[in-house]
Amino acid sequence: MADVRLPIESHALQAFVSESIKPFLDVVLMFGAGHYYVSQSDKGGMVFGGNIDRHNTYAQRGTQWVAQEVAAEGVALLPALANLRILRQWGGIMDMTMDGSPIISRLPIDGLVMNGGWCYGGFKAIPAGGYTTAHLIARGAAHPLTTHMDLARFAEGRTVDEPGTGPFPWAH
Amino acid sequence: MNPARVPSRGRTEAAGDLMLRIPCPHCGTRDEVEFHYGGDASVRRPAADADTAAYAAYVYERTNPKGWHREWWFHAAGCRQWLEVRRHTVSHVIESVTGQP
Repeated sequence: MADVRLPIESHALQAFVSESIKPFLDVVLMFGAGHYYVSQSDKGGMVFGGNIDRHNTYAQRGTQWVAQEVAAEGVALLPALANLRILRQWGGIMDMTMDGSPIISRLPIDGLVMNGGWCYGGFKAIPAGGYTTAHLIARGAAHPLTTHMDLARFAEGRTVDEPGTGPFPWAH
Repeated sequence: MNPARVPSRGRTEAAGDLMLRIPCPHCGTRDEVEFHYGGDASVRRPAADADTAAYAAYVYERTNPKGWHREWWFHAAGCRQWLEVRRHTVSHVIESVTGQP
């Protein structure tokens, strides 16, 4: 065990799939203020999700009130979604950092590099994350795109904190 | 969403409810929606003359256990008291709830 303490907690993020319908949406639609996204799969199901459950968990399920909140956000954005029935739902465990941004950094142990804490952005951003991590390993210094993602930013008061919510991993 | 449509897959028998049910010592057992989460209750503020590393650890570093977790919950829609809850982060079983001393 490396025994490195990290500014990360595990939280559940739910996702949902509706019954299949005819072509309805041909983009991934994001609702930033509501923390909601939706797209349509090739099979016709609407795939959507929203905010995390806001308490530490390793259980891959979701709490009901967040499911209701996500559904309400979807209906606020696209009222036609109110007619849909949800086929399935699940929860995935997110590595939530204290400022909501990832950590691509060398660690206090020489030769040990970290790429993690992606919160719920990893699926979209990890190609760039892999490229910049390779740069860090090969050259021994952060790629210019990720110099602000070092672990030391927390202790040194340089948190990224995009939503301005402070050191609460369930608030991002 | 019709609550009856939320699937039960993955739920354990011990945590049979669709959301947490927290037994408030002042108000009785209430749904999670009445509470605000306050995070890890095991962290303690360092002494006033502690160095910045100790304060950085206090603000940012968490043990994040897979298992029993001491955590703060604020009963916002009830007695408006902070409660310390001991909850399992896999089964979501709540073992104890105590009011703030």
